[in-house]
Amino acid sequence: MSWILTLTTFLPLLGALVCLLLPREEVGLLRGVGLSVALLTFLFSLGILSGFNGQTAGFLHEVDLPWVQALGIRYHLGVDGISLWLVLLTTFLMPVVMLSSWSAIADKVREFTVAALVLETGMIGGFLALDLFLFYVFFEVMLIPMYFIIGVWGGERRLYAAIKFVLYTMVGSLLLLVAILYLYVKVHQATGTWSFAYADMQRLVLSEREQLYCFAAFALAFCIKVPLFPLHTWLPDAHVEAPTAGSVILASVLLKYGTYGLLRFALPLFPHAVAEVGPLLAALSLAGIIYGSLVAYAQRDIKKLIAYSSVAHMGIVVLGLLMLNTKAVNGAIYQMLAHGISTGALFLCVGVLYERRHTRRMEEFGGLWAQMPVFAGFFLIFTLASVGLPGLCGFVGEFLVLAGTMSAGRTAFADVPLFGKAHLYAALAATGVVLGAVYMLWMFQRVMLGPNENPKNRKLRDLTLREGMVLTPMAVMAFWLGLYPATFLRDMNPAVHRTLVAFKEKYSAGAADAEPRMLGQDKNKKEEGQPPAKQDKEEGQPPAQQPAQPPAASPPGTGATP
Amino acid sequence: MSFDLEDLRRTAPLLLLSAAGLVLLLLEAFSRVRLIGRHYHKKLPPETSEAYAVPLAGSRTYLMPLTVLFLAAALGLVVWLWPEAAEPHYLYRRMLVLDRFGLLLSGVCITAAAIGALGAPAYLREQRMEFGEYYALLLLSLAGMVMLVSAADLVSLLLGVETMSLGAYVLTGSWRRSPRSSEAAMKYFLMGAFVSAILLYGIALIYGSTGTTELAEVRAHLSEMRSAPVFYLGMFFLLAGLAFKIAAVPFHMWAPDVYEGAPTPVTGFMMAAVKTAAFGGLIRLCVGGLTSGRVPEVSTGPTGWVNVLFVLSALSMTLGNLAALRQENIKRLLAYSSIAHAGYLLVGVVALGVVGDAARAPLIYYLLGYAVTVVGAMAVVAALAMGPGQERLPIEQWAGLGQRHPAMALAMTLFLLSLGGFPPTAGFFGKFYLFRAALQNPSLLLLVLLAIVNSLVSVYYYLRIVTAMYFRTPQEEEVEGHVPAAQGALRLAVLLAALLVLGLGVWPGWAATVAEAAKLAG
Repeated sequence: MSWILTLTTFLPLLGALVCLLLPREEVGLLRGVGLSVALLTFLFSLGILSGFNGQTAGFLHEVDLPWVQALGIRYHLGVDGISLWLVLLTTFLMPVVMLSSWSAIADKVREFTVAALVLETGMIGGFLALDLFLFYVFFEVMLIPMYFIIGVWGGERRLYAAIKFVLYTMVGSLLLLVAILYLYVKVHQATGTWSFAYADMQRLVLSEREQLYCFAAFALAFCIKVPLFPLHTWLPDAHVEAPTAGSVILASVLLKYGTYGLLRFALPLFPHAVAEVGPLLAALSLAGIIYGSLVAYAQRDIKKLIAYSSVAHMGIVVLGLLMLNTKAVNGAIYQMLAHGISTGALFLCVGVLYERRHTRRMEEFGGLWAQMPVFAGFFLIFTLASVGLPGLCGFVGEFLVLAGTMSAGRTAFADVPLFGKAHLYAALAATGVVLGAVYMLWMFQRVMLGPNENPKNRKLRDLTLREGMVLTPMAVMAFWLGLYPATFLRDMNPAVHRTLVAFKEKYSAGAADAEPRMLGQDKNKKEEGQPPAKQDKEEGQPPAQQPAQPPAASPPGTGATP
Repeated sequence: MSFDLEDLRRTAPLLLLSAAGLVLLLLEAFSRVRLIGRHYHKKLPPETSEAYAVPLAGSRTYLMPLTVLFLAAALGLVVWLWPEAAEPHYLYRRMLVLDRFGLLLSGVCITAAAIGALGAPAYLREQRMEFGEYYALLLLSLAGMVMLVSAADLVSLLLGVETMSLGAYVLTGSWRRSPRSSEAAMKYFLMGAFVSAILLYGIALIYGSTGTTELAEVRAHLSEMRSAPVFYLGMFFLLAGLAFKIAAVPFHMWAPDVYEGAPTPVTGFMMAAVKTAAFGGLIRLCVGGLTSGRVPEVSTGPTGWVNVLFVLSALSMTLGNLAALRQENIKRLLAYSSIAHAGYLLVGVVALGVVGDAARAPLIYYLLGYAVTVVGAMAVVAALAMGPGQERLPIEQWAGLGQRHPAMALAMTLFLLSLGGFPPTAGFFGKFYLFRAALQNPSLLLLVLLAIVNSLVSVYYYLRIVTAMYFRTPQEEEVEGHVPAAQGALRLAVLLAALLVLGLGVWPGWAATVAEAAKLAG
């Protein structure tokens, strides 16, 4: 099944090439091709699920081929419980997005379809890449189509927003490139072979100082993407100016790259730096939660409100990741999925309103419930999902993160200052959740409830069949994620557990003194033989008890190391 | 002291290019009989025919295909000599050397020139400046480049520089009806003459202190030169002369005016081929003549060439990029961007001095990637000209091209992304490859970081053009019914360049392998 990942990644690109060759007047055909390619990609991506049985901690369906042999760059894809659901989230959302832009994008349909499909290839490939060079390529490939989507089909200040989006992201990603190159050179120093393989980078131990600098570059790149509190200023602009499709993709998938990158790369590669700057990041994420909520409360534009709510929600995700215990990290990933569904769906709802009224200002609305009951129902579901009502998707993730944060002091590294204040963190984050309920419900009230006073709103149509088809799958997923989390946690948990064990092992092995070395090298042992028993004692209780994983610390697919 | 036929065989590309240049010159001279100028400008609107009322020779359409044929043959000879060049062969009493480095750079120059030549006739005809010497000068200038990149002696280096530049001076001024073109040629020529003197002076000083002009011999004498001020002075003069040719700050003053004033295909040719060849000469000089493991002072010492180039590199990329930010004219913008790229390339030359041979392949790859990218970009600029004397130069005139000329806009976007270093293009891999080599020595970390910050700055102005093409609505004043010269061969040129940029970016392995194999003699 190793072809499944390649197929899923490049099918959209193939579709984009087909669209490029179609005449641009054939608008209906282009939309149809775009939608069917996205649907087909989703169907194929379901094939990735095969092989996951709730025990798999390592990477599945790996492909590992040489790309640029001379430089040790490999085409290495693989999927584990962490990336699995993010990939499926992406492929699930793309048909929805395509369908939602059916009438919203009337101009340059061919270009839009091509941009969206190229973007999909970048997004899927980035989650699957296990070679840091390959990851970087996909990470950058996402940038240009999104720039076009904001800049061509965006609102009034789209030029400003598009260029701001690109420049912010580029600052981070160029630093990321330097850090990746640095690690690459260090791997060469330690092993004598050139390699970008994730597994090799994970085994590489640097000195504390080097770790700090590299972590700073990685964290900056990903925190801009998240976006973490002081780096978030591009987000409201990008969201407000982007067309609905762009906002949905941005909120649901692109922001996840920040947190995914932290979890996959920044945290496990530099454990000592995390222990050192973790408190700072945690404080920033708390600031983001509170600040994002307060600013959201002050907004008059619905889209901007949701954009700021993203800052708050993603702050919770970062906080969860930093707690470094299975519960909180599981919760963080879960919150990533939930945010993808609920915020994406809210942007779709705003798109529905905007297509009818060409405004997003709250004071223009009110009392829509009576006028558009079906729409109001959907809107309520997604609002409550975003607030975190039990039974809907937002609850599980937030709960796990808060619970994990509460218990962080008793697990993992009690000696690291980060976790001494875990209770305080949890309390502050919970405040943020309460604030979240305030501004979301207040927004719902302003838009949907009360008397329908504005005459322009008297003749609004309820959802069309197409819009219903767009929102229904989102609602189904919101309920599914809320009611039966086991579907998702089952395969997520072992992978998270394994990542944390590897993190702790690397931490307890100590930082390098001067020369870089590889983990396991100095102990004259193959990494297979590492007993994970010692680390398991320190490990917090995973929600579902896992049997001890024998290859827990071993990097998967050592294909790149000769 | 023999002069044998083997030497002739081993310089076949050089001889072919020179001979081809002369043949084209003769053909041009003897086909001038058939003037169809009067007939030609009857088609022009009255007010333009006044300005362009000159005899035009529109009948010599075979010149371009012939030129491309010659260039293809020269490229064939390069490939033919490749296996032989695995071991360096010194030719003509050690004046030239046949090695893979020289061959590969010759190949890059020839390829860039060929792509540029493909696109030239359509532009030249449209700008009413069609004349046959164009191709002859192109070929002769290329012959100079081949000599420059295979120089094993300071004298042949100077000869190469001069031959290359003479062609470029005339080509720059070949747009006789444009005052800007004449001004550019004058400026370029005066500065160039000055620089020739400086180069010559440098050579004299080096000869005076070492007693030889042969690069390998100079290197053998380095240990006696540790603290010879005359030698260092000569070295600085040589570096300054070559820095002028690659347009590195502070020897860049001529570049924006010349690149702007020259006919667009000539600009592309200069940015790509002249720059590549000049870098070839610089590398020959620095590595072949001024680097010796036993005498590190000359290269990495406080007054060594590494430090000089380090400063030039930092200045070039920073000032080039900052100046490019403010440009409204696309040719000037790309001229400043070309200065900035000279700065990135100098990072590679500095790395050659610090980390050694590992930086050679990345440099060659970067030169190749940059050459095809700018040739392509200039071909697009040429293709979008809106009539005689009306080039589409101000960026606001690029508004809405994404709709009007989708293929050209797409190609231009690709070239700009490559210049900005976005994957998956040649520009991205080139930067990556170069920085990877430089980072092998921690002392270059700062320079690499500066280069990265500069790439970020550059993204802003490259995307300005993309923004104009796709995000803005077209201006109405465009000449109605005018079909841009984007036809036939010019389209082919753009397509070729685009495929190369993409191909080099997606499958960089083959080019990297070839570049790794391109060893420097000595």
